[in-house]
Amino acid sequence: MTNLRRAITILGITAITASGVTACGGTKSQTAGNSATAGKGADINVTMTSFPDYVDPQLSYTVEGWEVLWNTYVPLLTYRHQKGDPGTNVVPGLAKDMPEISPDGKTYKLTLRPNMKYSDGTPIKASDFTYAIKRLFKADSGGSVFYEDIVGATDFAEDKSDTISGIVADDASGDITITLDKPNGTFTNVLGLTFAAPVPPSTPIDKDATNNPPPSSGPFMISRVDAPNSLVMERNPQFKTVEDAGATEVTDAQVDKIIVTQNKNNSAQVTGVEQNTIDYMQSPPDADRLSEVKAKFSDRFRLENSINTYYFWMNNKTAPFNDVRVRQAINYAIDPEALNRVFGGRLHPTQQILPPGMPGYDEFKMYPGPNMDKAKQLLAEANPADKDITVWTDDEPDRKRIGEYYHDLLNELGFNAQLKVISGDVYFTTIGNTSTPDLDTGFADWFQDFPHPDDFFRPLLNGENILPTNNNNFSQVAIAANDTKMDELRTGQLTEEARKQYGELDKSYMEQAVWAPYGNEQFSTFVSERMNFDKVYYHLLFAHDYTSFALK
Amino acid sequence: MARFAVRRLAGMIAVLFAISVIVFLIFNVIPNSDPAARIAGKNANPALIARVRADLGLDQSLPVQYLTMMKQIFTGQLTSYASDQNVLQHIISGLPVTLSLCVGAALLWMVLAIWFGYLSAVHPGSFTDRSLTVLSLVGISLPVFWLAAILLYYFSFKVQVFPTGSYVPFTEDPLQWLYHLILPWITLAVLYVGFYSRVLRSNMLDVMNEDYVRTARAKGISERQVRLRHVLRNSMIPIVTLFGLDFGAVVGGGTILTETVFNLNGVGLYAGQAIGKLDLPPLMAVTMFGAFFIVLFNTIVDILYAFLDPRIRLGEEAPA
Amino acid sequence: MLFVFIVVFCLAAPLWADHVAHTGPNQNHITDKVLVGGQLTDVVAPDGTPLGPGLRGRYLLGADQNGRDVMVRLMYGGRTSIYIGVLAAVITTLLAVTVGVLAGYYRGWIDSVLSRILDVVWAFPVLLLGIALGTTLALGGLRIGGIQIAGDSLWIPILIIGVVYVPYMARPIRGEVLALREKEFVEAAVAAGKGPLRIMIAELLPNIISTIIVFSALNIANNMLLESALSFLGAGVRPPNASWGTMIADGYQTIYTAPHLTIVPGLMIVLTVLSLNVFGDGLRDALDPRAQIRPGR
Repeated sequence: MTNLRRAITILGITAITASGVTACGGTKSQTAGNSATAGKGADINVTMTSFPDYVDPQLSYTVEGWEVLWNTYVPLLTYRHQKGDPGTNVVPGLAKDMPEISPDGKTYKLTLRPNMKYSDGTPIKASDFTYAIKRLFKADSGGSVFYEDIVGATDFAEDKSDTISGIVADDASGDITITLDKPNGTFTNVLGLTFAAPVPPSTPIDKDATNNPPPSSGPFMISRVDAPNSLVMERNPQFKTVEDAGATEVTDAQVDKIIVTQNKNNSAQVTGVEQNTIDYMQSPPDADRLSEVKAKFSDRFRLENSINTYYFWMNNKTAPFNDVRVRQAINYAIDPEALNRVFGGRLHPTQQILPPGMPGYDEFKMYPGPNMDKAKQLLAEANPADKDITVWTDDEPDRKRIGEYYHDLLNELGFNAQLKVISGDVYFTTIGNTSTPDLDTGFADWFQDFPHPDDFFRPLLNGENILPTNNNNFSQVAIAANDTKMDELRTGQLTEEARKQYGELDKSYMEQAVWAPYGNEQFSTFVSERMNFDKVYYHLLFAHDYTSFALK
Repeated sequence: MARFAVRRLAGMIAVLFAISVIVFLIFNVIPNSDPAARIAGKNANPALIARVRADLGLDQSLPVQYLTMMKQIFTGQLTSYASDQNVLQHIISGLPVTLSLCVGAALLWMVLAIWFGYLSAVHPGSFTDRSLTVLSLVGISLPVFWLAAILLYYFSFKVQVFPTGSYVPFTEDPLQWLYHLILPWITLAVLYVGFYSRVLRSNMLDVMNEDYVRTARAKGISERQVRLRHVLRNSMIPIVTLFGLDFGAVVGGGTILTETVFNLNGVGLYAGQAIGKLDLPPLMAVTMFGAFFIVLFNTIVDILYAFLDPRIRLGEEAPA
Repeated sequence: MLFVFIVVFCLAAPLWADHVAHTGPNQNHITDKVLVGGQLTDVVAPDGTPLGPGLRGRYLLGADQNGRDVMVRLMYGGRTSIYIGVLAAVITTLLAVTVGVLAGYYRGWIDSVLSRILDVVWAFPVLLLGIALGTTLALGGLRIGGIQIAGDSLWIPILIIGVVYVPYMARPIRGEVLALREKEFVEAAVAAGKGPLRIMIAELLPNIISTIIVFSALNIANNMLLESALSFLGAGVRPPNASWGTMIADGYQTIYTAPHLTIVPGLMIVLTVLSLNVFGDGLRDALDPRAQIRPGR
């Protein structure tokens, strides 16, 4: 009767309408590496487990973001496009030469190369650098803290001034003069970060430009963004102007198009690269696929060294970790080999702050182990009254496993440990908020922002930097003598002697067992068959260099 | 009739309001989720964070924040804390995926359920009936995400028949679209096939004993005709109403698990990600969206029922 | 019945752990070695691959990536999952019966208010509500008046799941009470001067008991499914504690190389829920063939 017909009609209409919506939508594609849709052979398909945080040179602060942006926006200075140590050398980018630094170390003079254009044809001007720095402050970039030393920067940030008095840029001659409050040995490094890449003033000064990135100065330009699903990079037709102006250290692209897609399933990515539907995956293969990839695809897979340190922080200010013996006991008890297995064999064991590859690194082993007996003995000596500990970690699979291991270890040592697993996105701000209760110990890692030891010591161990929020000194370490040393070393340049002193600083902190470091993670290169495996390389700062992508 | 509909619609709006308040409260009573801190970056100092807070309006009182957010939702300007993207646009772009999933699964489960239910009902107690009943019971006992994982493992890894997930838009390549959605459809449908086939079966068995069915038989109509035209039709009514409610629930958030496992960038996955980041605006919007669908279908079903059954309009409650 | 067997099996967990496997559910043994067929083998190989299942006391079902004994975790996990399922069902039943009976009996504005509240909870996408509450409460725990519940206590998922399903049970109960209220024996009781509370307990409750029991059985089943879903997404039982849901989430990471870590806990859930469904179904057929019970997600 009519009821049924009505019901079926409703059902039918719903289905048709819904299909209509379905068919209408979806012009923004999420290509699963289907070669039919990839077009001609020179389109490279890249997948990332996490999409770049921002597609904006002044704002991006993750490895994924820097990988995309390094070859898209060129700062005044840049880093050599080579693997290993040579890649950590600062070289001229859009500037003619390395900066002329005044004897008192407070003034930097650079000259912009002439006749360069952005990808949309607008000329690159010296004042664009000033504009970029202004954006750092107005758009609330996390990177702005590196440039606060510039005279007048904080006034500008607080709206007390319209300009940054410490930067003088002359568009006619291309001269740029930067004046600092005090000498800063890391400043050349910091000038080489994409934070300081010039952008045209058409870019909104105080807003994230992800959905409509500014025109680029590098070999690639970003032609389309559909965050956080995909973005497309294509050759920058105006890059020639930069090359012609003499920027020889900025390498050119070898492919026409790169399509970057997010895929949260690491295993699916591995399968994709194996089956050549994906050309390159940014993250290393998960532990359980690693041996398979190593065994069967060694002709297009290799492990790479990366500059990072994985460690457990321990709150030096509260019991039980305020006793150095307890901290040392943990250092004795931890088994880096066990943690290495949790990572699928990719952790290089370590027991110090600085990682290999960082200037100033000098290998030493202060707490040979794992030595549970020694640990228990030290604990017996210290005999802490407070045995309740909260262990923190984040919810990425390998981090979670590490947390569970550490939790079990602490229980075995006689503590009463409780594990708190926090979502990866809020983990660091949670433990970085000193008002969070029960911040006893937990997981942390640190990847270098730039190759200078100060990048490790200052945010992570300097007593001045125990911030109420966004703290990175999770152990809340404050050793005055070391702080003074750190400040002293930064005013100079990174000489041989300075490197040695940084090494001593590392030892000094480990004597106090401020952390329980255990590993440096290795990354990997895994590409499809058609990629030229020998040309692709892993850069110590910016991960894989997209200008090294080429087909065979 | 109109008054009834209006009353129902008013109720719908009231419920949506209550839900929005609850969601807003849930997320503003948590410690340590200060979005300003997260946006400002790892090395941020308090001055930077204060600037960000002011920019996002987070230093205003709660009711003001709530109203600001509501206004943003309705004018389509809601932006996520974590990624500065327009939430509404994101939901709209995720809608085709979720709807592809839901509609496809719904068609699949209805077709299968009706078929199975019919078979069971016409031969009650037979081997077919018993095995279908067992299958149905198993179907409603499976955790969706586990089924998804198992299907993925066997059919895209062990036997490489299907892709490992992700979505291809219909406009790009209809065949690939279909191909990528088959496993997710099966996953989502299994639970409901079991339930609906059993409901249909029991309804049909009830209806078969009704007087008018006996009359129809007495009139000499063939058994098959009796089953199809009289029994099946009349058994479908409760099914359709249940379907309305379930479809609403599925679109409104029931797809999170399936979308997560199969990496389909739909509304469900968006919600799951937002929750992990404690990102209130998308969560708010998706929950409102979900609740809207559920309440909408609830209301449609209620109104339909009232239309069909005058007693309800006049005061008694529709059966739940 | 299968359910009883499974319950007993899980309750025997501590016995197994102590006497057969010699390890607890959360103890890591990443670098330990175990005798397998006479040879000392790594529990977790240097490349991270855990030991597979085999016929032996320790690691009967193999190890997971942290070197923990899967069998022991399975049994303890079962205890946790069943515990949550049953306790949440108790809470749901208590709340649903209270709300349903009060609303059905008093009608009027009490009914309106309670029904609206039920509508709001009902309209909430179940999974989203569960995840939202689970995630936020896990961070800081719950503080109501003087009661404080830690973030990783089992009571958090129990309360959440308990509350979420109240409308599913309360509405049918309310419907039944509405109908029963019109019957003569209730009128008689009112005429005899019995107070409302007595009427509700003595007259109404016995008549809805069958509905309650049937719904409860199915509610436990739904609760276990919801708990596993929440735990899988990370918003239910917190690590390192085992529940069948968290085990599936852990196992899913290595599904390609160690599928049994995912399959086994899932199968346990299916069997338990299935047996409850069969039980509830049979009960319903026996007691009240017309009731419609809806599955949760």
